[in-house]
Amino acid sequence: MNNPITRGRAAALAFALVAGILATPAIGATDVTDIGALDQQALAALPQFQAANRQLNDYGNGLRNSYLKRAKHASQADQQRMAGEFQQKMADRQRQLFGPLFGKAQAAIASVASSKNLSVVVDKRIVVFGGQDITGAVRDLLSGPGDPVPPVASPAPSNVGYVDQAAIDQTPKVKAATDEFVKFKADQDKATQDRLKTAKTDADRDTILKDYRKTLDDHQNTTLKPVVDSTRAAISEVAKKKGLILVVDKGNIVFGGTDITKDTTDKLK
Amino acid sequence: MMQSASGGTLRCGGRIRGVLAMAALAVLAACGHGNQPVSSASGSGAVGYVRMDELVHKHPLYDQLAHYERSIDAFDLTSTAPQVVASDPEMRKREALLQKQLNDAADRTQKLLAQKQQEYQLQESAAIAAALRSAGIGGPSAAQIAGNVNTTARQQQTGVAQQAQRDLTTYRNTLQKQDQAQINAAQKALTDRADRSYRAKADELQSKESALSLKLANDDAAQRLALRTKLSSLALDDAAREEAQKQLTAIDRKEADALAAQRNRDQQTLAALQAQLHDQVQSDLNAQVAAIRQRSLSSLAQRQTSLAKQITTTNIGGPVVQTTVVGGRPQQQLNPNLPPALRTRIEQLHSDYQKRFQSDAKTTIADFQKTRGDLARRYAQLHGISASSNQSTGAQIASLRKKHDQLYDQITAQIDREVRLIAQQRGISVVLTNIVAPAGGVDLTPDALKDIESLHE
Repeated sequence: MNNPITRGRAAALAFALVAGILATPAIGATDVTDIGALDQQALAALPQFQAANRQLNDYGNGLRNSYLKRAKHASQADQQRMAGEFQQKMADRQRQLFGPLFGKAQAAIASVASSKNLSVVVDKRIVVFGGQDITGAVRDLLSGPGDPVPPVASPAPSNVGYVDQAAIDQTPKVKAATDEFVKFKADQDKATQDRLKTAKTDADRDTILKDYRKTLDDHQNTTLKPVVDSTRAAISEVAKKKGLILVVDKGNIVFGGTDITKDTTDKLK
Repeated sequence: MMQSASGGTLRCGGRIRGVLAMAALAVLAACGHGNQPVSSASGSGAVGYVRMDELVHKHPLYDQLAHYERSIDAFDLTSTAPQVVASDPEMRKREALLQKQLNDAADRTQKLLAQKQQEYQLQESAAIAAALRSAGIGGPSAAQIAGNVNTTARQQQTGVAQQAQRDLTTYRNTLQKQDQAQINAAQKALTDRADRSYRAKADELQSKESALSLKLANDDAAQRLALRTKLSSLALDDAAREEAQKQLTAIDRKEADALAAQRNRDQQTLAALQAQLHDQVQSDLNAQVAAIRQRSLSSLAQRQTSLAKQITTTNIGGPVVQTTVVGGRPQQQLNPNLPPALRTRIEQLHSDYQKRFQSDAKTTIADFQKTRGDLARRYAQLHGISASSNQSTGAQIASLRKKHDQLYDQITAQIDREVRLIAQQRGISVVLTNIVAPAGGVDLTPDALKDIESLHE
């Protein structure tokens, strides 16, 4: 046992084992994650959501017909006012129908996330690989008798951050660049429409459309891309300061996560 | 795919998510995150990410995807083209001009008839006065009065005939212009329809070719990977290497041959379809042109007959009835002192005049109303062509979007498979896409790009 050769072999074997484990970290890391994923479409297919959806559609159809009748002989100003009323009523009805369902769904998601020690749950569509899919557990909880009970503790701090892109899009520089691009695109659309009228063949048409795309891409690269890059850099900087690994859009976060929208917009001002 | 200002991109490639519940469910996301304390803690496993847009752009089927996007652009941009027929300012001007001309002509005719009626009344009064004078009261002789009446009537008749001829010419010219506009619109609508059918078939076949290409690549993926792995082995001798290379080339050739054969068949299908569509367009156009011209000829003939009748009915001689003023108001009455034969004749002429006059007026008004109605119908038909073209365009766009999304899903599914393998090899526990900004995660995009690019080989 004390033979140095034997000891050497044992040491070599131990080293090889350790090296092997280190070389295949996937074995040890695959199941260890606090990131969960939820298929929101699967939840939308639940009977209670489908029923609410049908009710909202029926309500919308009735309301639309009523407004169309009223708007027929109304002035433009009145029509605009009616459109505003219509949207408000639809939003109210939507809140009325879906609000309680959202509350239950949110409690179920929080409950499952808590039981699985997840710090963040993202939309399954942005998950390419890994993460814990909690769709089934949430669905079971929502389909079961009684209301799901939310966890007492708030979710653990997450190293996945998120920003509200809509808020960032409203910062002055970003908005100016976006508005400029939208105007440019509208001009290009019109010019391309005129050019398409002169196209004699499919090849002509394809050439015109390729030019159109290229013009838009080029302009996007010169006007939008610098703003996008600087915005992304600002988000990354904020994220690094807060010890986050990456940042996704708020729309893709279902539960938890770390909101860095305000820090980012402050930095962009 | 347009980038959002913060750099994120939609993975679903602009797919329209119309399901209200889904939109509503997004609220889940909004209410799902409270203000979290800032964390420096990290999750247990390594987190990676990929920039899906870049990968999609490098995928072998991206050209097909871009083709769909261009086709959608084309429909989006040209979906207004059929409306050009309806909203063409020239068309509207012509329509307005035509209406104005017809209204003017109607007014003129009515004025002429009113003037004629007034003059007839004056002439009749003059005739009665002449008859009274010939009975001993004095004034011009009956022959003189009759001569004057005839002269006036001839002048009126000539004026009406000339005006009617001018109206007819104007109407004919307008009809010709309208015919041409309708023929052009019909031609455009038919050509557009054929074009859409052809492009839809071409897209469908191209989509099938892409699917075939993908299927062939997937079917051979395992064998290809094994051969590549074998080739990358340093211990492989030359003969074995050559054999492996041959097998790899054979796989590529087999796939390329299968795809080429499919393309040849598709080209033949498209050529046949093009010929069929061409014949169909020509046939439909001929039928429509014939119908348009037939309608115009019929309208013109009707108008000509009507005007000819009008001219004829105005050639009816002199005044017939005396108009006297009784108590300050004009009244038509027969002079009781007239000889019975003359009275009978005057009564007969007066009756004829009244009937013809009323008939003329009715005919003229009815004619113009009918013409206006006819025009309204024809413009409605033009608008109908446009509306149906627009509906068809909408359906085409929806169909293209569906195909685009299906292909996009196919592409991303394949990328996902590649990324999963890389993640497993590199020990990454979670891989996300649609990242707004990376901070410390592992970027797997370069590795995935290499794998995706190898699919081109």
